[in-house]
Amino acid sequence: MGTLAIGAILLAVLLVTLAGGLWIAMAMSVVAWVGLQFFTTSPPDVNLFQAYWGSSASWTLAALPMFVWMGEILFRTRLSEEMFKGLSPWLAWLPGRLMHVNIFGCAIFAAVCGSSAATVATIGKVALPELAKRGYDERTCVGSLCGAGTLGLLIPPSIIMIVYAVAAEVSILKMFLAGVFPGVLLVVLFSGYIVVWALLNPGKTPSAVEKMSLGERVRRAKNLIPCLVLIFFIMGVMFTGVATATEAAAFGVLGALAIAWWSGSLTRASFVTSLMGATRLSCMILFILAGASMLSSCMAFTGIPRALAEWVAASQFSPYALILVLAIIYLLLGMAIDGISMIVLTTSIVLPMIDAAGFDLIWFGIFIVILVEIAQITPPVGFNLFVLQTMARREANYVARAAIPFFFMMLLAIAIVSAFPGIATWLPDAVLGVTKK
Amino acid sequence: MRRFLDRLYAAGGVLAAVCLAGIAVVMLAQAAMREMGLLLRGADDIVGWLCAASAFLALGTTFRHGELVRVGILIDRLPRVARRRAEFVALGLAVLVAGYILWAAANFVYESWRFEEVAQGLIQIPIWIPQMSFVVGALVFFIALVDEFVVLAAGGTPAYRRAEEVHRAHPEQAEAL
Repeated sequence: MGTLAIGAILLAVLLVTLAGGLWIAMAMSVVAWVGLQFFTTSPPDVNLFQAYWGSSASWTLAALPMFVWMGEILFRTRLSEEMFKGLSPWLAWLPGRLMHVNIFGCAIFAAVCGSSAATVATIGKVALPELAKRGYDERTCVGSLCGAGTLGLLIPPSIIMIVYAVAAEVSILKMFLAGVFPGVLLVVLFSGYIVVWALLNPGKTPSAVEKMSLGERVRRAKNLIPCLVLIFFIMGVMFTGVATATEAAAFGVLGALAIAWWSGSLTRASFVTSLMGATRLSCMILFILAGASMLSSCMAFTGIPRALAEWVAASQFSPYALILVLAIIYLLLGMAIDGISMIVLTTSIVLPMIDAAGFDLIWFGIFIVILVEIAQITPPVGFNLFVLQTMARREANYVARAAIPFFFMMLLAIAIVSAFPGIATWLPDAVLGVTKK
Repeated sequence: MRRFLDRLYAAGGVLAAVCLAGIAVVMLAQAAMREMGLLLRGADDIVGWLCAASAFLALGTTFRHGELVRVGILIDRLPRVARRRAEFVALGLAVLVAGYILWAAANFVYESWRFEEVAQGLIQIPIWIPQMSFVVGALVFFIALVDEFVVLAAGGTPAYRRAEEVHRAHPEQAEAL
């Protein structure tokens, strides 16, 4: 049987099991089993063990549970109140005024947290009621939170980047560094949209500004100090090479505990809840990675990715056509599947193609992370939508429609990053040196 | 029986949590000792083993909390009877998969015990010792799945279904991505 026919059979098995509601990690294992059992001579049970154990017992991957735990701790502190107090006096001069707190608050929180839903929930729980109280337009407020929350994935540390880095076998540190400028780009695009919107709809921004002296504003900004210290500390130890990403993550946990203790929200109960929450969440992710690892070892045996890569290399596609096709596929996938599964399901097939087409794997990581961000806000399955739906007590449709402008801003960001790949690749090359993998 | 099973899953979760916290402790200890010019031998291996143990031991409790992700969008929209049947098939297949995982893990670890294989890193202990976390975790996971399958077959609602519904009502409290 031809390689592509085998590929089609496996794809069919995957789609049927996924649609049938089998848990994603298990569906991947089933597909891998079918592939190994019927189309290769390699024993599936040995492959299963080596893939599951090899992917889980990994020192590099240990950064993931650490960053997850750190986010869980910070989510339970009063960091968001402090952030609102500290940021709001400094952003009131921009057209759109406090609406920008959503963007900058999410961006700053994203620098200590690696997930998108946690970022939305943390910033939203304070910003949403505060802005509603002051009479800001609810729809734009919800939309901007929805969009900006996804920065949690792009601004380091980022759980999804660790997943990609492990799957693509690139450096976690490089991925983190590559996310910095695209993150800034998105902040500028989101805030820029709010400025334009506020100028076009002058009636929708309340004109009342809290009058505040410079001294008062500086005093209020002190609220941001614990968070900023934590950010600079983590980034500092990672990017200067004092500690690896995994060690930095452990320091991050320590720092997050210190902040929680300092703000008085560290109790025995909150400690235990954060630890158990982190355990279950990282268990879920590591299980998916284990299934994906078995699937990629099956893929390697069947030779499907190589055949596809050769086909891409042989057909005279322009690289941009390939990227465009992939973007569309990921946008569609993102409507139904969560981001992590989206990445691990596809990397073993897609990365050899991308390599063959001459793209940089770090750059492609950023490209795919932005697509995962978009997946968070596209219905019917988009986690930021779910979170805001309950927080704002609104219909799913309302939230999804409110997020549309920010969806287009993200598409714009993808176009810009594709046209100028240096936005992603310059910083890691400058800091860590150009070493082609 | 119910109480014993619930305690079994909870115990797996607690052990997993201890392993997760252990990762942080070992990493920090390693960094502190390096500052003092000491070397914590084999810390990398220990961290890897703790990471694996944390993942495998938590499988049972994570599953019951409805936090293992799946594509629910299609089966959630089926009418009640059809949806129950679909759930039955999905859960039944999951029991088979978990059983296979358990068998593969137990078989492999038994072999490495029989041939007295030694870990390849700095800590030269028999490799089956850290690998037991996989076997134990897979066993708890398998029990949890059979448990839920029996509940569903007897006409009840499995715990993960109830948890999934709670998540859907309050996603902002769920620790998901």
